[in-house]
Amino acid sequence: MHKSILSAAVVAGSLAISSGAYASDCGEISMADMNWPSATLMANVDKIILEEGYGCEIEMVVGATTVTFASMNEKGQPDVAAELWINAVREPLFAAMDEGRLHSAREMPITDLGEGWWLPPYTVEAHPELKTVLDILERPDLFPDKEDPSRGAFIGCPAGWGCQLSNQSLFIAFEMEKKGWNLIDPGSQAGLDGSIVKANERGENWFGYYWAPTSMIGKYNLQLMPFGVPFAGSENWDGCVAKGPEACTDPKPSAWTKSEVHTVVTDRFKNVAGPAMDYFAKRIWPGSVMGGMLVFMEEEQADGPDAALHFMEAHEDLWMQWVPADVAAKVKAAL
Amino acid sequence: MSYFSKFPEMGKRDLRDFKKSIDGAYKDFSREYGEAIENFFDPLYYFLTWFEKLLNATPWPIIILVIGGLAYLGSRSWKLALGAMISFLLIGYLGMWKNTMSTVALISVATLLCIVLGIPLGIWMSRSDRVQRIITPILDIMQTIPIFVYLLPVVMLLGIGKVPGLIAVCVYAMPPIIRLTNLGLRLVDKDILEAADSFGSNYRQRLINVQFPLALPNIFAGVNQTIMMALAMVVIASMIGVKGLGMPVLQSIQNQYLALGLMNGLAIVALAIIFDRVSQQYGKRLQRHREGGHDA
Repeated sequence: MHKSILSAAVVAGSLAISSGAYASDCGEISMADMNWPSATLMANVDKIILEEGYGCEIEMVVGATTVTFASMNEKGQPDVAAELWINAVREPLFAAMDEGRLHSAREMPITDLGEGWWLPPYTVEAHPELKTVLDILERPDLFPDKEDPSRGAFIGCPAGWGCQLSNQSLFIAFEMEKKGWNLIDPGSQAGLDGSIVKANERGENWFGYYWAPTSMIGKYNLQLMPFGVPFAGSENWDGCVAKGPEACTDPKPSAWTKSEVHTVVTDRFKNVAGPAMDYFAKRIWPGSVMGGMLVFMEEEQADGPDAALHFMEAHEDLWMQWVPADVAAKVKAAL
Repeated sequence: MSYFSKFPEMGKRDLRDFKKSIDGAYKDFSREYGEAIENFFDPLYYFLTWFEKLLNATPWPIIILVIGGLAYLGSRSWKLALGAMISFLLIGYLGMWKNTMSTVALISVATLLCIVLGIPLGIWMSRSDRVQRIITPILDIMQTIPIFVYLLPVVMLLGIGKVPGLIAVCVYAMPPIIRLTNLGLRLVDKDILEAADSFGSNYRQRLINVQFPLALPNIFAGVNQTIMMALAMVVIASMIGVKGLGMPVLQSIQNQYLALGLMNGLAIVALAIIFDRVSQQYGKRLQRHREGGHDA
């Protein structure tokens, strides 16, 4: 009942506005609701704006990077991935873009983001000599591995994630085995986060992989360590490091590649929801706003839809810039 | 009338504060006692690490022979012993040896721990209806609560690795052995117990010589379920950093490596079948022996 009134109102509204071609054209869109906070927040904000502003019917599809991408690439579903980290899927993604099956609707939808190796702030403070990753690698004794206390523990990326291969390659490239390190696979995000929480709550040293923007980085103020070596070229990174030790045996030491995130849409979406492409093109989240929202989500235990509503209320000035005035008015009225 | 159409919820803010206070209390608890609890589990930890290192350091032909020998001792069946040896040869040939050893170490210790803790609990439960009333809902929780709910708290308390993995496995795998021990002991015919009493046996004699042998089929069904459920948890345990066959499975799920997933999955199945057949055959032999004793 409620829903039909609402959609009737949307239809009536769109008929009243001369540029109302938006609404009826958009139709049913499936959108990836990726399972980390910034992506689910972005997806839910997109959902509100596309539904209320552009008259789309959005179905959320839960999934992680590789699975979502594989599904978009093979089956053209879901139509939209708001925050796709492309390092892991670079080659097939660009192949699909060249063929015109997928499109990047927005490069870098969030500013100031990146992956790398991090230390807790108190470790940095207590050991000012640890200025770069190279310095840290000389001190495995500071980060003892519980299962093998004579060696250092480097917490890598959970099994199966794209970053697992890159971390494995860098582990080899920096000869960490020889320097007395073990590469610990935390197994899942719960494992990785749990290890950070445990170390930080108890003031234990921790050295491992993570990425920003995340509430974990914001909350514990983890410090991104410079690698102490330059980025050794994309040939080394894309052709070797990212492929993992099984595919490429001689990776060269390198700083982490600059992270690229795209909002990726299917060709179908581009065709049926043309005006919404303009929205994606303008939608840029400043890193500071995203960071603030992530801490909000963490502290208030807000899920994606709740946080998206909070964002729409608290950051009106920001999202109003992303859409034409008439769309903004419709969205605002619907809130 | 909105009171009836809309459920009178606790306010959103109160609910959030309520949740936050629980989280905060848990974090304080973990900060305060985490280290002590971690140290408490250290012996288990050292045993597990030692056992895994032993398995990994032993030359593979010896492991295969030991497995064949154990299978034969347990089951007295050449076929089963040979099958077990061939499966392990195949596992090694397909490059899963190291992970399999890690999993064997975890599952052996987990099963042992579950049995050592579970059977006495089952006995206690069978003796008192009140204990049964208290333990049964706890077992229900252990078996049905989604594992992901307690993975993070366990990791926050104990870190990632073997011990939290072992605990996660046992939480899930222990209930069947407790339940079936309880059931088996309760199903023993009252007349037989009366007869035992009338011959003047004390509680201990009655339990060990009468009740326990008669309850063996149920208890071994419990052991079987415990082993199966422990092996089913291998992948979940890998989600908190336990090395073993679960890791490649996780990796294959995320990357659509069908063959890798299938191979490691089948290795887990092979372990389950070997563990189960050997323990079941052993259980049957125990019972045949007891029955023979009665007839004689």
